[in-house]
Amino acid sequence: MAEFTLDCLGEACPVPLLKVQKKWTELKPGDVLIVNIDHSCALKNIPEWARKQGYNVEVEEVDDGVWDIYIEKSA
Amino acid sequence: MTTRAAEELANLKKAVLKDPWPYWLGGILLGLGNIVVFIYTAAPWGVTTTFVFWGAWIAQLFGGHPETWSFFSQQPGMLQVLKGGFFNHGGSIMNAGIVVGAFLSVATASQFRVKKIKNGRQVIAALVGGLLMGYGARLAFGCNIGAYFSGIASMSLHGWVYAVFIFAGAYVGSKILVKYLM
Repeated sequence: MAEFTLDCLGEACPVPLLKVQKKWTELKPGDVLIVNIDHSCALKNIPEWARKQGYNVEVEEVDDGVWDIYIEKSA
Repeated sequence: MTTRAAEELANLKKAVLKDPWPYWLGGILLGLGNIVVFIYTAAPWGVTTTFVFWGAWIAQLFGGHPETWSFFSQQPGMLQVLKGGFFNHGGSIMNAGIVVGAFLSVATASQFRVKKIKNGRQVIAALVGGLLMGYGARLAFGCNIGAYFSGIASMSLHGWVYAVFIFAGAYVGSKILVKYLM
């Protein structure tokens, strides 16, 4: 049940999604990945990718134009 | 106003101002916009030819003489635009409109933010990418708007040729991106 944070602030598409996909292979079932983004297109494609894989996704707007995406690697 | 109506209004506001619009809606609006541009300017929408004039006007500011360049001296229409200046050129107004519109869109969504530069590689990639795109767009007589979007809309074969090669270019580009920018 570890928690990982991926800082993608200042990164433009498709870099945030590619970074998430790369990090994802290191996660174990039950782990949570928090992705910090400030690029609105990543707000669309990262949750879309994660939900298609069947994982739970939650998005929190932490500041103007800044979001944290929580993805849970369910078993 | 009832609570229910207020709620509906808030949802509508969020869908229009904050959430990304679906791709199909963007496609329809771009198509309609191109029709309007075609009616008013008698040419389909393009973006990058305008940068030639912006570059030439900047050159003039620094004492250059772009009017002697063959691009202008041998094309009377282009020379006329060069002499007419920024506010008499529809393309310049439209490009400025893209910047103003993008700002309004992000401001009404309250998502405006000055982003940090993450690392030196980002700067180099942006500069090299910008130069290659600008140079390529001039050689190809247009970018993904003028050559591709407006090309296909004009039933011209060159738009379809562009479509095939943009996929090849995007494939190679994404390999380079994964290798050097990740």
